[in-house]
Amino acid sequence: MSYIILLWRDRALRIVIVGAGEVGFNIASRLALEDKDVVVLDKDEDALKRLSDSVDVKVISGSGSNPLNLDRAGIKGSEVLLAVADSDEVNLVSCLMADILSPSTKKIARIRSGSFINHYETLRNNIPHIDTVINPDIEVVKTIENFMNIPGAVDIAEFAGGHIKFVGVKINKNSSFSGLKLENITSVIDGIRPLIVALVRDEKLIIPTGKDVLKSGDLAYFITEEKKLFDTIAVFDPDVSYAAVKRVLIVGGGTIGYYLAKRMEERSISCKIIEKKTSRCEYLAHKLNRTVVLHGDGSDRSLLNEENISEIDVVVTLTNDEETNILISLLTKGMGAKKTITHVGKFSYSSLVSNIGIEQVVSSRLSAVNTILHHIRRGKILSSVSIKGEAGEIMEAVAMPTSDVVSKPLRKISFPKQAMVASIIRRDNMIIPNGDSIIEPGDRIVVFAKREAISRVEKALSVKLEYF
Amino acid sequence: MRWRYVLSTIGLLVFFLATTMIIPSCFAFYYDDSSLVSFIKSFFITITVGVLLYKIFECENEGSISQREGIAVVSLGWIAVSFFGAMPFYLSSNEFTVVNAFFESVSGFTTTGASILVDIESQPKGLLLWRSFIQWLGGMGIIVLSIAILPLMRGSGDKLYKAEVPSPMPDKLKPKIRDTAIVLWKVYAIFSILEVILLMIGNIDFFDALCHAFTTMPTGGFSTMNASVKHFNSLYINFIIVLFMIFAGINFSLHYQMFKGNTLAFWKDPECKFFLILCVLLVVVVSFDVYGQVYDGIFESFHYSVFQVVSMITTTGFVTANYELWPPMSQLIIMFCMFVGASAGSTAGGMKCFRLVLCLKYCYKELFSLVHPRAVKHIKIGEEPISEEIIRSVFGFLILYLILFLLSSLLLAGMGVDFITATGAVIASIGNIGPGFGLVGPMGNYALIPYCGKWLLAWCMLLGRLEIYTLIVLVVPEFWRK
Repeated sequence: MSYIILLWRDRALRIVIVGAGEVGFNIASRLALEDKDVVVLDKDEDALKRLSDSVDVKVISGSGSNPLNLDRAGIKGSEVLLAVADSDEVNLVSCLMADILSPSTKKIARIRSGSFINHYETLRNNIPHIDTVINPDIEVVKTIENFMNIPGAVDIAEFAGGHIKFVGVKINKNSSFSGLKLENITSVIDGIRPLIVALVRDEKLIIPTGKDVLKSGDLAYFITEEKKLFDTIAVFDPDVSYAAVKRVLIVGGGTIGYYLAKRMEERSISCKIIEKKTSRCEYLAHKLNRTVVLHGDGSDRSLLNEENISEIDVVVTLTNDEETNILISLLTKGMGAKKTITHVGKFSYSSLVSNIGIEQVVSSRLSAVNTILHHIRRGKILSSVSIKGEAGEIMEAVAMPTSDVVSKPLRKISFPKQAMVASIIRRDNMIIPNGDSIIEPGDRIVVFAKREAISRVEKALSVKLEYF
Repeated sequence: MRWRYVLSTIGLLVFFLATTMIIPSCFAFYYDDSSLVSFIKSFFITITVGVLLYKIFECENEGSISQREGIAVVSLGWIAVSFFGAMPFYLSSNEFTVVNAFFESVSGFTTTGASILVDIESQPKGLLLWRSFIQWLGGMGIIVLSIAILPLMRGSGDKLYKAEVPSPMPDKLKPKIRDTAIVLWKVYAIFSILEVILLMIGNIDFFDALCHAFTTMPTGGFSTMNASVKHFNSLYINFIIVLFMIFAGINFSLHYQMFKGNTLAFWKDPECKFFLILCVLLVVVVSFDVYGQVYDGIFESFHYSVFQVVSMITTTGFVTANYELWPPMSQLIIMFCMFVGASAGSTAGGMKCFRLVLCLKYCYKELFSLVHPRAVKHIKIGEEPISEEIIRSVFGFLILYLILFLLSSLLLAGMGVDFITATGAVIASIGNIGPGFGLVGPMGNYALIPYCGKWLLAWCMLLGRLEIYTLIVLVVPEFWRK
């Protein structure tokens, strides 16, 4: 009988997800498209039905904190447990039970409550051994700060501890690049030549070759070292101003608003918060020191005028209602605010908003998804970030001595077609590779891959022995 | 609905069917028989149509498909596959008119096993293998097979799978639908290979062993012999075939669990338990009924009743005894078997034990709540409470099944077929059994059914194979509205 059992040895990477909410749904659908075995647990039958109707995953009805359900989901052979249910308690208990049932499984939990912030280390080192705790509100604050620091960018990711930046910028109508063939870029500019690794046009992802033409409205992704970042962005859009952010207005004093205001205080940036609810205003005023807490409606023109909206550098709209956020962003932009950052939770809106002139959009859910993907990758992949439209991912990995990709010219390695090595980082220097470049063992490489190719890239980067 | 997508996927299925024609061609070549030319012709016609359909309507697959598209692909795909599968029959001999060839092909793919052939043994061997082989393909499902094999089906497999394997209680063995399909086919293939070997040990030559294994595992029932399994007249062969018919009548996910080491899976599953107990009960009753009246020995009567009851309840349709000579009660039990069928998730047809169990439990619940008007009681199968939604769909299915049975019998009788034959033929077709009663009884065949009747019965077989809903929505006008 044993030879028959051998036939069913599980080889694919199995991931158990607790919670079929928006984050769970989104991660499940992405991972399923990458050819991974995904099992989703949730108590809500309707949410499960919605998921299993559109995504090829296995669903199990029942709470993820119940050990019997975790067992049914096959936690024992699973590589990762993702606890992203709505309730922090369920997530914690799921991780605890998973730790007891299958200690080798990597555990990632989403915990919204701020009270845990100082205990992430404890949770990692003691039972329940949660490898990564994700607080979506803090992740979104990080993204907002990134947007504030890098004007003109629509999408930002960092690699090599922040040395290397991966940035998406919109090609404007008056950009000198619009209508230009990529191979002719050097003729327009001198000095820095941006390495464009991907284009998003009409929500389709293109890996460009020299023959491709840049068009206005394209979202161009390039990779650059930190010190050259601003010069590179200036190449795309000369009108961008780099003046440091001095005055910030936050509309909506929820958890994210509060965290952001606190960060602003730490960085000594003048900050104002507009909040509708009196009691919340009281709370904020109590907790925050230098921030000006204003009681009122963010869409109130006279209030905005009173607070000198035209002098504000950045308006961040963070109310619970995405429609309101979008409208307030448009309103304040019209009234003279230099820049707006809008929180849009619903994924279905994200493609719409760029059409009406709102470029910098954040979402706590999307931030959570991205952070989770960051930690879920296999092999020696240090981190990975998905790009807008979710059609591709950029990953940073260590080239292992035993991996297939090292010690031979790039054009000889068997790499999937829809993927490319975007750069090689050797001792903090970035090398832009060509066909003759050789990856040395121990180098870090940045790989860009379309979604279909991700699992093959993961395999190529893994140690060879793993597959015998 | 994106018709381009539906048509190109059907093109893919037809193409896939064409490649399977290579196997009978090899046999035809080896035995040097007359069907080789017809196979080569049908291969080229089928592959051309398949590739053309696929290429003409090829489109970028944007995201997942809708349920409606899944149903359209599966139902129209089955019709197309049956049509092209009929090609070798049609081209090989005059006996096969268009309707006869189509009937034989549908009867094959739906694992019915009803034949219009009067003399089976005189047919070329290639064609006999094709008859058995299409049953094997249809048993586990041609779409499930293409999901397992063709990477192009990726992304849309889920909906197609649900439309082709409409189990009342859906169960995904593996997180990914493709892996589930692969696992099911592996189990299926392992059983088939095992049966070939065991039959060959019983002194059957490879060809006949293969053909019979190809029709036992899908509970099909085509035989290469005029007298079906009776021809071999061997206790051992009968025993092996009964054993594998029972295997085929059990939910395949239980086989999978058993292979994984859970040896008690069969007994723990309430449906499987019900099925096995029902088999034993019916066998005992039939044995005592026929003992002394038809057969003299107790062993002989037991032996024939086991084979016939199992063959009918698993909807296989192999024959070792003419049950029409049995006493009325045994005949009625045989008819009851035809209605019931085996487990859900198996390759058998009929209404399935699961639905019967559910129906009985529901009736009990109604009576129970007469006695305890304020009782809160759920319907459970094993320890699993069954949701209202499933109960509703099961009752809808049972009612549709009976209505379609009555309506089709009426239509067939209207064509001048006698009462017994009409009802027998319809239940044998809609339940995917094969032999019925009267003219189409165990010793008869479907050659004498009128022209329109054959089309009607072919439609019934497809209805039964796709468990009614998937096919019947094609006649609902709402389905075609934009």
